[in-house]
Amino acid sequence: MAYDLLIRGGRVVDGSGLPSYVADVAVKDGKVAEIGKIKDGATKTIDAGGLAVSPGFIDHHTHLDAQMLWDPYGTCEPQHGITSVVMGNCGLSLAPVRQGIEDAVVKSFVRVEAIPRKALEQGVKWNWRSYGDYLDNFEGKLGINVGGLVGHIAVRHHAMGEEAVERKATGAEVQKMRGLVLEAMEGGALGMSTNRNDRHMREDGKPVASRLADDDELFALCDVLAERNAGVIETILGRNKIEHFKWYHELAKRTQRPILWQSLQHRWAEPNLWREQLDAVEPIFKAGYQAYGLSMTVPLVRHFTLKDCQVFDEFPTWKNLMFLPVEVRKQAFADADTRKKMLAELTSSRETNYHKRWDIPKVERVANAENQKYVGKTLAELATMRNQAPLDAFLDLSLEENLETIFWNANNGGDSKAMGEILRSPYVLVGTSDAGAHVLFGADFGYGTILLGLWVRERQVMTLEQAVHKLTFHPASIFGLQDRGLLRPGYAADMAIFDPKTINAEEPEWANDYPAGSKRMVQRSVGLHYTIVNGTVINDQGHMTGELPGQVMRGPLYRQQKAAA
Amino acid sequence: MGVSYIPVARIGELAPGVMKEVDLGGRQVLVTLVEGKYFAFSRQCPHEEADLKTAGQILDGTKLRCNNHSYCFDLSTGECTLPRGGPPLTVLPAEERGEEICIKLEW
Repeated sequence: MAYDLLIRGGRVVDGSGLPSYVADVAVKDGKVAEIGKIKDGATKTIDAGGLAVSPGFIDHHTHLDAQMLWDPYGTCEPQHGITSVVMGNCGLSLAPVRQGIEDAVVKSFVRVEAIPRKALEQGVKWNWRSYGDYLDNFEGKLGINVGGLVGHIAVRHHAMGEEAVERKATGAEVQKMRGLVLEAMEGGALGMSTNRNDRHMREDGKPVASRLADDDELFALCDVLAERNAGVIETILGRNKIEHFKWYHELAKRTQRPILWQSLQHRWAEPNLWREQLDAVEPIFKAGYQAYGLSMTVPLVRHFTLKDCQVFDEFPTWKNLMFLPVEVRKQAFADADTRKKMLAELTSSRETNYHKRWDIPKVERVANAENQKYVGKTLAELATMRNQAPLDAFLDLSLEENLETIFWNANNGGDSKAMGEILRSPYVLVGTSDAGAHVLFGADFGYGTILLGLWVRERQVMTLEQAVHKLTFHPASIFGLQDRGLLRPGYAADMAIFDPKTINAEEPEWANDYPAGSKRMVQRSVGLHYTIVNGTVINDQGHMTGELPGQVMRGPLYRQQKAAA
Repeated sequence: MGVSYIPVARIGELAPGVMKEVDLGGRQVLVTLVEGKYFAFSRQCPHEEADLKTAGQILDGTKLRCNNHSYCFDLSTGECTLPRGGPPLTVLPAEERGEEICIKLEW
């Protein structure tokens, strides 16, 4: 057989953004060997007729630093077509480390990323010191490809010990940190990350170490990347402010490295902020520098009934009603004067997180068959159908169904027009899955499958080719991932094979697969048929094969050193 | 429009700092006594939904800290005081009425 693997008759969406086309893809020795009409056979053949064949997706914003140590697949990444992940975001990495500071790093992970302490204590063995040692630990043990950023928090603790959360660094300590960053980059880091989010604290309530760094320190560390012309600089400054863009511009100009900032997404409560952010970042790119904003694809959705509802807790009358016994609450909902108070609160000019709009919440499920016609309608549409005011239609439908009608609401990420512009922007890097973090709160492994299902198929805000580009070659280019993110001869044979007609993510669910019996949330996908890493199938129609073909993705300084040697 | 006083504890039942869980209309609420005053608030942290019965800790005065992420809230107002501007805690007015502690719900 000429080839190891042959994928026959799929629609190749190659990651470049160019129009897709029907072709066979042949794989040899872990690389794409040939694309087109292929005559030769292979040891294994997959019939991809009717399916899309794309490069494997690259999840560039994860906190899998610990999970990858016990879970070679970073479950549930491959279930969503993800073949490569980047760890070490938001200033947090598990290396470099020296004896005695391990717990300082754990304290930061436990609080900032909400990873159960007992899982970290059992799952992280600390058998490394440098960043390169840490990456070495993964060699030969990976199901997917893994790269990482060196985190400012670990670097600062390494140089300053516990005083890293107490004070400014001395000149000597900054020099020591510069040395640690260089060592990490030479060991294979893809860049560095820092964290100035004033909400990010350690387990003991102290600020994470990088928050104590002034611009002189931070810029001195970023200069290491500039001097060596390598790596990305990932940042989180906290609540979005337009003045942050001056800082991004200064850092991008000074280093000429790609800057990543968090984050932008449409919010109904601040409906123009995303536009202001895109307007603010454009001059940076126009000036010739790079400052990519990270955006999430997953709307922050709440499903609720008026029997159990927190959505309106910002409004005093609504809030009090939701704590009343249900029978009293129903009487109150039927009362005209109470409705007047409820409406007055919803139409006041007071700034709230709730959007106060009737054209966003929808009827998701009804209790009575005769109301089936309302399913999928917004409350504004419901009002028109029932020839009522929106509040009356909302409350009357609920009362008719004994408060069991299920409604859908999204305060963030729900506006198709805005999200279309955000997701299509060349200045926006799609994906903030936070995989491996906040594991008891949610699971967004499916940011890519949701991009393809919700935003491409259902809302048609971009083409399949544009979306796949955003999940593959776009991050691969920014992070400097060599020979990944495209389907081209010579590139790594990382692939996702999926059905564009059904691809999507399921709602998160509970699992018990973390160390020390810790629970966490996982997420399944729909329509994802195969995930292939370096030419080997790891996910065969939902079944994990147990193969470990993943590689450590090391950065350019490591590769240069290795080439020179 | 109306007002309801829903009894949630008897006077003397709560030791200072102890958090008693009660069900109000299907929602979980915690009631506590701090420096001679009663407070009632949602059992769920508004940040990442931690259970404040186990993760919540009363600090000085009327400050409640969620030990999941160290977010702090003023129990009088629900305001998130650390970090400033964080999501507010849902609080309900609690008052003594005769021998009982009641939650006052006005609508």
